Amino acid sequence: MSQPSVMVDGDHSTEFDSTPAVSVRHLSKSYGDLIAVDDVSFDVDSGTVVGLLGPNGAGKTTLIKSMLGLVVPTSGTVEIEGISVHDDPTAAYGHVGAMLEGARNVYWRLSVRENLEFFAGLAGHRPSEVRERHDRLLDQFGLAEKADVAVNDLSRGMKQKVALACTLSRDVSVAFLDEPTLGLDVESSMDLRRELRRLADHDSMTVVLSSHDMDVIEDVCDRVLIVNDGHLVADDTVRNLVDLFRTQRYRLTLDALPPDATRTRLAESYGVDDDEWTTTGEGVEFEATLADGAELHALLGVLLDAGCAVHGVTSLDSDLGDAFLELTDRASPAERGRER
Amino acid sequence: MRTTVLVSAIARKQLILLTRYPLNTASQLVGLYIFFALLFFGGQAIGGPAIGESLSGLIVGFFLFTMSVTAYAGLSWALTREAQWGTLEQLYMSPYGFGRVMAVTVGVNLLVSLAYGGFILASMLLTTGRTLTVDPLTIVPLVVLTLGSAIGVGFVFGGLALVYKRIENIFQLVQFGFILLIAAPVDAYPFLRVFPLAQGGNLLQRAMRDGVHLWEFAPTELFVLVATAVGYTVLGYLFFQRSSDKARRDGVLGHY
Repeated sequence: MSQPSVMVDGDHSTEFDSTPAVSVRHLSKSYGDLIAVDDVSFDVDSGTVVGLLGPNGAGKTTLIKSMLGLVVPTSGTVEIEGISVHDDPTAAYGHVGAMLEGARNVYWRLSVRENLEFFAGLAGHRPSEVRERHDRLLDQFGLAEKADVAVNDLSRGMKQKVALACTLSRDVSVAFLDEPTLGLDVESSMDLRRELRRLADHDSMTVVLSSHDMDVIEDVCDRVLIVNDGHLVADDTVRNLVDLFRTQRYRLTLDALPPDATRTRLAESYGVDDDEWTTTGEGVEFEATLADGAELHALLGVLLDAGCAVHGVTSLDSDLGDAFLELTDRASPAERGRER
Repeated sequence: MRTTVLVSAIARKQLILLTRYPLNTASQLVGLYIFFALLFFGGQAIGGPAIGESLSGLIVGFFLFTMSVTAYAGLSWALTREAQWGTLEQLYMSPYGFGRVMAVTVGVNLLVSLAYGGFILASMLLTTGRTLTVDPLTIVPLVVLTLGSAIGVGFVFGGLALVYKRIENIFQLVQFGFILLIAAPVDAYPFLRVFPLAQGGNLLQRAMRDGVHLWEFAPTELFVLVATAVGYTVLGYLFFQRSSDKARRDGVLGHY
């Protein structure tokens, strides 16, 4: 199957006039011979939620940590709100919050409110100055009743919420979230998704999040970056990525099995092997992956020329998971399992 | 940005961590006291009245040992724990800068060390009935400058922990090394004064046992004390900075 064309290399920078909230240019990181991130460039516009997807070991965490200056890149630049993270990190950190290790990002011996106050203090805010903000966060995350409870005594989902609340404990315009819903139950995950969307829509916050959960990415993200073997292999909206694959696989239902010659031609020209045919109550059906609409017309022509009655043609729905698998399928399996 | 806010945040956190589990903190202090009591009563049982001749030296030495280990461990162990807890990278991303955050942490740890030292000194004096000169105008500057070199060593091993991880066993060996440094015979071997804790230990002994005031020490002796304090702190901090840069290059800053 031909590969879809997806926007990469910061194509989105041309869509907006304003300075992007995050700008990554030719970012690379190698550990000896191992290339963890390879010449990655993209922009993230203010007030958008961008998802970072990739198989294990694809380089997502290295990419996020390089964007935050926690890993020194081999080459390339990263700017947050126009400030170089690597040249002027303290100025850049004034705009950014990060939740990198889920619930491990906070002090379990401190209470929820003490954590919020500590992390706000770490950015120069006195507790009295951020009290209202913290009360609001506690309400939004359903933590108000647990404000004075030590984090150690909370459930995993609540700990995760505390970590996110701490990321937002001060006024930041960009948030990096590494696997924010990992280990959450369905309800907590839904709460978190709503909150992330609200942050972008109402507070104009820019969010870059990595996740293995396709539902989270589909629900929350305006754009998706797919990373594989350190490369950016896709940079587009969820809808565009899904649409790219939706139009390419069809299920065709016929009244009866076509003649041998026709089946041979279908196998040779469209990859419909004998084991693709299944018998149903209406007749027989098969699935075919086609390059485009014109190829579908050609295939239908072959069937009609052979005198087959075509009862139905169904465009098979594709989701982000299918798109992800298609896009990351290019990497060799040996490359994929590497830890970074 | 206001450094007072950072100081307040870190001091508050340290205080909460110390007091939230009071039994844990108390057990550390009691452990130190028991260690001294074993030395004292054990020494009395074995050496009889002879222990009295070296008791003052033992008290001053143990007083300094308690504070130097607290100051050193407060830095090296704290960095390891922050990495374990997953909060080290959050500290690194402070808009104040990692260096400033660590400097304030050191300052707060120093106060904790002084508090521990004060407690253990009072306990030792009460237990032994010994009287020593405790002139704050002399003792505090001497102790703070002496701990400067312990902090420098803490920075070095904290930096090594960032890069190599899991070196807690070496931390403990270094603590034993402190005993040798505090007891170093600097009068017999003057070159030993350049080692961490050695000069400070010697001056503190003379101040507390013999009642020598700060201004009565020879300027060269004070110069060596200041030079070793500043030198080890600066060198330790530079080493720590280079270590954290290496940890970031290797991508292991927050690893444990």
